[in-house]
Order: sequence, then structure tokens, then C-alpha cells
Amino acid sequence: MNSGTSSSRRSIRPDRRIAVAILVLSLVGFADSAYLTVKHFTGGPLNCSVFHECEKVTTSPYATVGGVPLALLGASYYLVVFLLTMAYVDLGKSGLLRWTSRLTLVGFLASIYFVYLQLFVIRAICPYCMISAATSTLLFGLGLIVLFGGRTFRNG
Amino acid sequence: MKSKKRKGSKTDPGTRSRTNAPLAQRIALWISAFIILGLTVMIVVALSEKASKPPPRIPTEPVELRSTDWIKGAKDARVVLIEYSDFQCPSCARYHPVIQKLLAEFGDRIRFAYRHFPLRQHSHADEAARAAEAAGQQGKFWEMYDLIFDGQTTWDNLPEAQETFTGYARQLGLDMNRFKSDMDSAEVRKRVEEDRRSGSRLYLEGTPTFFLNGVAIQNPQGYDEFRNIIEQAIHQAG
Repeated sequence: MNSGTSSSRRSIRPDRRIAVAILVLSLVGFADSAYLTVKHFTGGPLNCSVFHECEKVTTSPYATVGGVPLALLGASYYLVVFLLTMAYVDLGKSGLLRWTSRLTLVGFLASIYFVYLQLFVIRAICPYCMISAATSTLLFGLGLIVLFGGRTFRNG
Repeated sequence: MKSKKRKGSKTDPGTRSRTNAPLAQRIALWISAFIILGLTVMIVVALSEKASKPPPRIPTEPVELRSTDWIKGAKDARVVLIEYSDFQCPSCARYHPVIQKLLAEFGDRIRFAYRHFPLRQHSHADEAARAAEAAGQQGKFWEMYDLIFDGQTTWDNLPEAQETFTGYARQLGLDMNRFKSDMDSAEVRKRVEEDRRSGSRLYLEGTPTFFLNGVAIQNPQGYDEFRNIIEQAIHQAG
């Protein structure tokens, strides 16, 4: 990434820093959801673990929508966010970053619903799902900064 | 709208240099992005494969039948299958019909024992184990075991499962007063606790865990795989 060159300037531009932060977070979210997706399809060890209660969440009827595992939808979401942000870094069109930011609302709302399901319906916490909830919340926060925060984005 | 103001310049100054960057540099940028994505996928796949192969268990004494076990199958069979299980574990419920099918096919050549290993995260698991034991006090352990597993999805998410279990007891025609007092009796609690402790001593990592002729086996994926393993054991036992 280019953050190395910008650090040689007087100050790092916040939009560039935010883009890098979005890239890192979406990559973390992608890795996390991809792990759950692979687990979903390979079946993994078919048992309930002494150490965690993830399987109760990931084997619940809420783990798929119309046969598609939520983990796969999550991985696709993070991939789209990552690629859009890459396109922004490449082309410099701030519209791309603003569309990415609007998209993070979808991820954030989905996460609220999934955390609600884990806490009140399934009554079990899946750590990997909570990592995803955290990354999508942070992405949403960055999206808000892009859309409504920093002068850089309005006045260029 | 704020965006109107920006119509003239759609490109952020912060990244403008990028648009004019040489093609080679842009290609390098995208190649590195895809390498990072590719590496991420590879690491994730490698990790999930590693996780699905549990480390070899610490060698223990062969797991043998005890006089207190609930046993099904042929009394003098040389092939012994012991399951450590949790009534509220979805995987255990998935193995229930598999075990039923195995016993239907090999019931005259194997012995099967069920032991309790209720996990902490399953709030009704201990109660379910005690319900099965209490039914066992009236000679209906296996009948209760079937009902509890078959009904898992109906009682799993209830805040209280006691009523469901007493409903099963009624269905089996048990003496209800005795069933209720047995469920809370020291004797029944001790039986469940002893099973659980014996599982802990075996360093069980989860449920279900199967021991075939005293040795832990990797959980078979599906009936056919399980059937092959059992058949092989029967062959070896001669």
C-alpha cells in the first residue's frame, strides 16, 4: 500500500489511512467468514466441543438462508468491500469509497441481527461470529467517518 | 447535496497521484492485493483442515464396560462400542439414528453402551441425562433415550425442559412420582456425574466420542463409514 510514501509527508491523509484501515478490517472479516464457510462445507469434526459452543450457532437453522450459509454471504460481503476499496486506492475516485461506506451499513445491520439471534434466540455465542460482528461494526464506524466526518472528504 | 459541490473533481487529491501512476505500478498493486487474498484463503483452508484433525489422544487404558453401564446388543459380543454423548448436542442427535441403524444391523454381534458427558454450554443436558437415568430406574432407559434425542429440536431452545421430560415419562407410562423424585435423587445424580468424570479422565474433547473395543475412533462421517468400521472390527474379532 502507499501509506509508506505518505508518512514521509508532513501528515498522513486521513482518507488514505481510512482506506488502509478498511482494507485490513475487511481482510480480517473475510478470513474469519471464509474459515466458517470452509468449516460449513467440509463438516469439520462432527462433534460438540468441550472448549467452545460455536457448533450450536453454526449448526442452527439460522446459519443458512435458502441453503446458502451465512458465512459465505459474509465472506462475499467482505470481499466486495475489500475490492471496492482497492479500486478506490487504484483509481482515486472518492465515489467508490463513499459507496463502500454505504455498503457497510448493510453489514452492520446484519451483524446486529446476528448478535441478537446469538444472545436471545440461540442462546449461545460463536466467537468467530462475534469477530465478524466486531469487524463489520468497525467498518461501519469508518464508513460514517467517510460519509459525515473529516473535512478531507467534503472539500477535497 | 454536498456531493454537488464536488462535481468538478471526482478524484481525491490524496489519491490523485495513483490515477496517474504508471501501469506497471497499478498492476503490481492489484497483483499484491490478489496475492494477499489468495494467501488468506490458503491459510484459512490449512487452519480449518488442521482443526478438523484432532491431535492424537493421550494414551489411556482401554475403555472397558462397567457393571453400571446401560448396554444394548448381544450380551457376549466381542465387539464393544461405547459412546460418550450429550443429549443436547446437535451432533449427538445426528448420530442417534446412525446408532439405531447399526444396532438393527449388528445388534447380534456388537454391544453398545451409552455414557453421559453433558457439556457446560448445553443448559438442559444434565437434566436430560438425569431424566434418562430416572426412566432407567423403572427399566425404560433406552425408551427415554430415544424420545429425548428424537425431540431434541423441540426442547433445546425452551427456557425450561423439565415439563417436556416429564411429558415423555408420562408417555412411557412411568410412575410419575417416582420419576420426579428419582430425577433429583443423589443416586441418579451420582450416576451421571460418574459418567462425566470418567469422560474427563479420558480427556474427551467433545461429544459424541466413540470408543471401539476400548480405543477412541475418529467420528465416522455418515452411516456407511461407521458400518465399515464396525464390520472391520467384527472381522478382526473373528
